[in-house]
Amino acid sequence: MRTLLSAGEIRKVVEERTLHQKGTGKRVVDVREEMERLEERGEILIHRIRPENRPVTATTLFGWTKRIPTDRLWHHKSCGQCGNIPGYPSSLLWLMNETGRTYLNEPHQTSCTAWNYHGTATSNPVALAAVAARNFHRAYETDHFPLIHCGTSYGDYKEMRKLLVENGAVREKVRSILRKMGRDLVLPEEIVHYSEWVHAMTPELIARQKHDVRGIVATVHEPCHYYKMVPEDAVYDERVYSGQRPAVPSGILMALGATVADYSTWYDCCGFGFRHILSEREFSRSFANLRKIRPMVEEAHADVAITSDTGCVTTLDKSQWIGKAHGLSYMLPVLADVQFAALALGAHPYKIVQVHWHSAPTEDLLTKMGIDWRTAKAEFQEYLRALKNGARPELLHPAHGEIEQFFAINKGQVLPDEARSAPSDPSIAGEEGGRD
Amino acid sequence: MSVVAHLPRRALTLAEEESASPPAMELTGRRKIADGDRALAATIFDEFHADPRYREFVLGCLNCGECTTGCPAARFYDFSPREMLQIAANGDATTLWDALQEKIWACCQCYTCNMRCRFGNDIAGIISVMRELSVIHGLESTRRTLAPFGRSLTLLMTVGTQVSSDMIQPDFFRDWGPFATGSDKVWQVSPEVMRKAIPVDVLQTTRSAWEVSVQTSLELFRIYEETGVLDMLRGLDPDLTEMLVDIVEERREEFAEARERFAADLAGQRGTVATFTG
Repeated sequence: MRTLLSAGEIRKVVEERTLHQKGTGKRVVDVREEMERLEERGEILIHRIRPENRPVTATTLFGWTKRIPTDRLWHHKSCGQCGNIPGYPSSLLWLMNETGRTYLNEPHQTSCTAWNYHGTATSNPVALAAVAARNFHRAYETDHFPLIHCGTSYGDYKEMRKLLVENGAVREKVRSILRKMGRDLVLPEEIVHYSEWVHAMTPELIARQKHDVRGIVATVHEPCHYYKMVPEDAVYDERVYSGQRPAVPSGILMALGATVADYSTWYDCCGFGFRHILSEREFSRSFANLRKIRPMVEEAHADVAITSDTGCVTTLDKSQWIGKAHGLSYMLPVLADVQFAALALGAHPYKIVQVHWHSAPTEDLLTKMGIDWRTAKAEFQEYLRALKNGARPELLHPAHGEIEQFFAINKGQVLPDEARSAPSDPSIAGEEGGRD
Repeated sequence: MSVVAHLPRRALTLAEEESASPPAMELTGRRKIADGDRALAATIFDEFHADPRYREFVLGCLNCGECTTGCPAARFYDFSPREMLQIAANGDATTLWDALQEKIWACCQCYTCNMRCRFGNDIAGIISVMRELSVIHGLESTRRTLAPFGRSLTLLMTVGTQVSSDMIQPDFFRDWGPFATGSDKVWQVSPEVMRKAIPVDVLQTTRSAWEVSVQTSLELFRIYEETGVLDMLRGLDPDLTEMLVDIVEERREEFAEARERFAADLAGQRGTVATFTG
């Protein structure tokens, strides 16, 4: 078997590649420019970021400018977060309440369905594009800019936006489907990951910091689908790893004062695998423990692992307990950046950050952050008893009405301008919450 | 066959394949293909090369191996993204068929190979195309691989979320430890009360990741019907598909009844609420 190529063979391959790229027009283009042209031709609508979205400018890998809206946002929740790490979205909503940002968090959203596609392939690009476009239009009709909670949704939506811009046939098919449900083809000016919102909000967040985290050593796992899918659009900042790695979520940790420690396998994925985490976890847990958690602990001596995606928190956290069977007793706490930030800003570790859904214990970390978890835990146990006895739950935003279980309207939900002045304690909406 | 991956070439017929001299590079061990599978393998091979994504995703290969050195699956499985790309670029019907039986399912879809590839190949993407074909044609190996996904597919097709908290059952997720699954033992309350303790109303359910409105779930199902996803699933698991259709029919009736019940509240509404009928 030949393994070495001659200079002539290499030249031939490179020439073919060049010809192919020229012939197909395959080059990295800024789809936002093409979106403008499509809108001029009446093919799409652009959901634009407006002054009331209070945008902050960031820079992407390619040096492009990206505007990050910080207000009047439509929460595109993540099915994995909401399903088994609910402190992830609740911490984000809490931070928005704390900083006076307004939002809609509706039942009128589906997931991107890309977890299923990457796991089982029981879908196709047209379906994925139509799902994305349905959610985009829903955000558009509420006049709130979509904020994507999940790394995979973020990557998938960037791919789908690109597909819809570049492929007229897919665009036409998706438009015809949307019209059957009274919707139109709308593409957001930017696809924005929640960690980019955190990045844009960093000055406001650290101004509200209550706990000193300078003694904390954090290792960051960068979610693959944040920066390996459509990489040109991920946010980088020269102040974070000299712009050599994504700015999120490392930037907020550094700004809060934690030490972000390097480790040799930072570029590896977490082991989630989409299919593997549900049906072949021997792979996920082997990879997570051996390739991620062990280097984080043994090389970086981390107190906590921080990441910014559903699958990564799930895999890195929940894979550790079984490691004891192989003598791996690390139990390194794993949190999302928003959970860590919320804790640093004084959020309740159980009621808001919901640390009890995590497999690796967080008590030592909380102690090191100066948080009295024993008192908080006792309060939470009392709260659980009250809920068990029929008390109404405390909520971060007013509850939806029954009609909203059926129809995509906001009849019962307080709209942003009202929410801004509603609760006296912005962290909790109080006893008025609860489903009708 | 050169180790250099050229741009797509004419595929060998099965007869040509068998009469050809052994390849210079063994891609997957070149297993024999059962007589009954030959026609299907040839069909899949043709469909694979005809897929419009093929020309876009498969650009060339220097066999540098950068993709495989960063690949998580390559560390634990007999799998290599370089091999998958070579099969895509240079393989024949037999090697493709062989890869579809098991190897394609090792990929983590992390896109690390794509990021590292200096040719700009979309290796994760071309593996997805292979997977789609194995689903569309209902390969027996694919049915076995995806058999554990009935519950999550049901959830995904009917409400559009992948998981729910009541899927995290101790019997199936024992390896996640007591804190992930044992709210009743650890906190002395039911899973329903634990969900009530999340301060976001739409998350206070155990049956889905969040509560999805009926209109939204029916819009999603319309997308599945219109884009062929439902037909795809029917080829893989007809019983599950019929069950999904029944569930959605019930939801459509529920939606129609709700429209009558909330007629006064809906009067004057515009947009999708006014026009969408399920």
